[in-house]
Amino acid sequence: MTHSVELTDIRKTFPGVVANDDVSLSVNKGEVHVILGENGAGKSTLMNILYGLYQPDGGTIRIDGEEKEFESPQDAINEGIGMIHQHFKLVGPMTITENIILGSEPKKSLGMSVDMETARREVKELSERYGFDINPEDAVEDVSVGVRQRVEILRALYRGADILILDEPTAVLTPDEIESLFVVFDELIEQGKTIIFITHKLDEVMSVADDISVLRDGKRITTIPAEEATNNRLAELMVGDEVLLELDRDPHPKGEELLRVDDLQIEGDDATLVDDVTLSVREGEVLGIAGVDGNGQTVLSDAIAGLIELDDGSVTFDGEDATEWGRNRLNDAGLSYIPPDRQEQGLVMNFDHGENVILGEQHTFPIGRRMRDDELAEEIVAEYDVKTSGVETSVKSLSGGNQQKLLVGRELERDPKLVIASNPTRGLDVGSIEFIHEQLLSARRNDRGVLLISSKLDELQQLSDRIAVIYEGEIIDTVDPETVTERELGLLMAGQELVTEETDSVSNENTLQAKRIEDENK
Amino acid sequence: MSDLKSRLPDEVKHILGRMVDASGRERLLISLGSFVLALVAGALLLLVSGAFASCESPVFGLGGLQFCYNPIEVYSVMLNGAVGSPYSLGLTLRETTLLILAGVAVAVTFQAGIFNIGTQGQFIFGGLAGAAVVHYTADLLPANVVGGGGLFALGMMAAALIGALYGALPGILLAYYDANEVITTIMLNFIATAVAFTIVRSFLREGAAVQTTLIPDYATPPAIIFPSASSFSILILVPTLLIAVGAHYLLNNSPLGYNIRVSGEQPTAAEYSGVDSKQVIVRTFTLSGVIGGLAGGVFVFMVLGYWQPSVPQVGFDGITVSVLAANNPLGVIPAAALFGILQSGSVALDLQLGVPRQLAGVLRGIIILFVAMPEFMRMIGRRLGLGESSATSAVTGTEANDD
Repeated sequence: MTHSVELTDIRKTFPGVVANDDVSLSVNKGEVHVILGENGAGKSTLMNILYGLYQPDGGTIRIDGEEKEFESPQDAINEGIGMIHQHFKLVGPMTITENIILGSEPKKSLGMSVDMETARREVKELSERYGFDINPEDAVEDVSVGVRQRVEILRALYRGADILILDEPTAVLTPDEIESLFVVFDELIEQGKTIIFITHKLDEVMSVADDISVLRDGKRITTIPAEEATNNRLAELMVGDEVLLELDRDPHPKGEELLRVDDLQIEGDDATLVDDVTLSVREGEVLGIAGVDGNGQTVLSDAIAGLIELDDGSVTFDGEDATEWGRNRLNDAGLSYIPPDRQEQGLVMNFDHGENVILGEQHTFPIGRRMRDDELAEEIVAEYDVKTSGVETSVKSLSGGNQQKLLVGRELERDPKLVIASNPTRGLDVGSIEFIHEQLLSARRNDRGVLLISSKLDELQQLSDRIAVIYEGEIIDTVDPETVTERELGLLMAGQELVTEETDSVSNENTLQAKRIEDENK
Repeated sequence: MSDLKSRLPDEVKHILGRMVDASGRERLLISLGSFVLALVAGALLLLVSGAFASCESPVFGLGGLQFCYNPIEVYSVMLNGAVGSPYSLGLTLRETTLLILAGVAVAVTFQAGIFNIGTQGQFIFGGLAGAAVVHYTADLLPANVVGGGGLFALGMMAAALIGALYGALPGILLAYYDANEVITTIMLNFIATAVAFTIVRSFLREGAAVQTTLIPDYATPPAIIFPSASSFSILILVPTLLIAVGAHYLLNNSPLGYNIRVSGEQPTAAEYSGVDSKQVIVRTFTLSGVIGGLAGGVFVFMVLGYWQPSVPQVGFDGITVSVLAANNPLGVIPAAALFGILQSGSVALDLQLGVPRQLAGVLRGIIILFVAMPEFMRMIGRRLGLGESSATSAVTGTEANDD
């Protein structure tokens, strides 16, 4: 059988990095081929080569058995390859139809004007053929992310793509939208298209893949059929050694109260953002805060860290009233903050490592001292396993996982008494997630306090001693991670109280326990 | 920006990426190359406009066409006019000194991501403050070198102080009242011009013309090496260079400098790291105002010798100089020198060859445009995330950005 795509010994290097190390890969026609790998494993580079965005340093590309050379995406498009990038390349104010035909418009009047009649008809036919539920006259800026992705797919199909490359298409989608994307996959396969699907999320691989290729450190480790794959095996292949999916969290004696927040209130322009929140963290304790994004947890963490003024309530840090302290003084007193957005807040992208490791400490520098600390940067790079080509390169060139390791390293190397970690593993690969979890637990072992804000339930359950659930700015319950079920957490996060059901004694017990913990807190 | 990136043809992206990746040596070569190209383009322009202009003695004729300007002659006159004699070199350095100060004043605010157009206003008021000090205190101080030095010192201090206050104003408006700095600074420039005119006419006027008291010779910075006719003192250039170096040092060796750069790069990161952005804005504006005011003081004491309402647009040229220098205070020095050379060179053109001032201006524009363009393209390329070093990050970045 001829392979739809055949890559042989593809090699691509960037300064200091081998992104693709003689990668060979065959994709069967009419199948979904998943390319799986950690951040920085070289997945996107490989696909950008196939799409003509990069030229390989070596190796060959065959499409339907014929050797090709792509100097630009246009060459790849001409060979029936379409790529859907993670960040959509659409023009917001233009309609869906206009976006789809952009760059390959049907012409009339001797090529002088766009034949919108034909365009509309063709787009309509196309979307009906694949069962896409879209209105071609909607402006792209008015439709949801899921629909925009379909517009991208339609655009590729409109240009005659037979092979569709999707770069982490699920990253921006809600669970429902992911489901319907996979339905679209089925439709496309039925019509004889070939799909190459890049991801690092294990759970979605199994449901759609025919074949799975695993990339690690720029090399293809193996290709296996989906039916032979298990989550554990794939995770192992991705990271290179056995993944400890279960973390070791020994019971640890709690010490003095480090942080106490009483009746904290933050008002927004037209709504209360944080409503009467009371919580406390002790030495050697991890307090988890669970909640769907946008329920006030970021405002809460910013307020505790001293970035926003409180409208009401008080913050006590290490026995002292710290309500009016502000960020710098809290930092000096030993409160570190891993912010939710590493690329916007936590790191300055165009600064190098040496400059970034003093961010947050700059007020302690005397005038005349160089505003950087290369020694500290070297130390963090070594200790936190940051893969970089040098501390004098801008952190923009690091992969997301390595950026986060640098950031976490910086905040923990200050030897804080308490660290607020807001979604510290968001968007990271398995290896980096584990590493960061291990660091947070080791802070706990050293009698540090941790306030962990996360939207990942498994993370919260694995790390926390207690989990407080925030909903619309209020802490509506505090539960024990050992006994609470994901379903119960889900209910709480949706704003529903845990009700005692007579038929369900287990849940009953949990609720009681949760209540007890809550009482303890008061 | 990403829309722009997706619509650019790949050849263009490739070239931009290559520009971003250029090494230091390559960049120097590119700059030299574009300078040569600028001369060629300027020569063509001179030939073409020379063919249309009417002149008494054409330099040469070709196939019935009469050419008025000989490009080689034009360039050599320009070069001579800029650096050919101690006098003309003095003129060039005089322009350079003013432009360094104005350029650094603009650069520190641009580093903080603040689009400050107000240097001209601080330049006007700084100069006026210097002249006012002379007006009121010249009689109180002894008429000798000591008194002159005191007069100069007082005048420059007043220039710095008034510049600081007039610089802080748009800073306060931006920080505490959220008033767009581009608009306020432009408006404050007009206000400075009009208020300065009124003050001079009502209080500081000397004789019939609207201008201030002449600064006595003993308070003018002495002309060493260069003839006094060029109104340039090396004793002013040296501290000016120190100010540029000092601004660079401050940006890299002080918390304020670090905060200025973080605020300019990523305001959200500045806020996260406990930076009081209001304070940084006001301080940056004040610092810029001090340097802009000093430029005005230098203009009055060294260049003109008095103050009058129609001052040159040094503050606005400072913006161009700063942008040409990528807002790096050290880069401002060569950028200002290039401007200085072109300025005095084109004056000579007008005087010696009768090349109209407008044409000289176009010639100047072409050279600046050509020299600035490669760095400008690099900036665009970097913004778009093109080039090898950011290509890795574009790759890993998409993988990393999936939250």
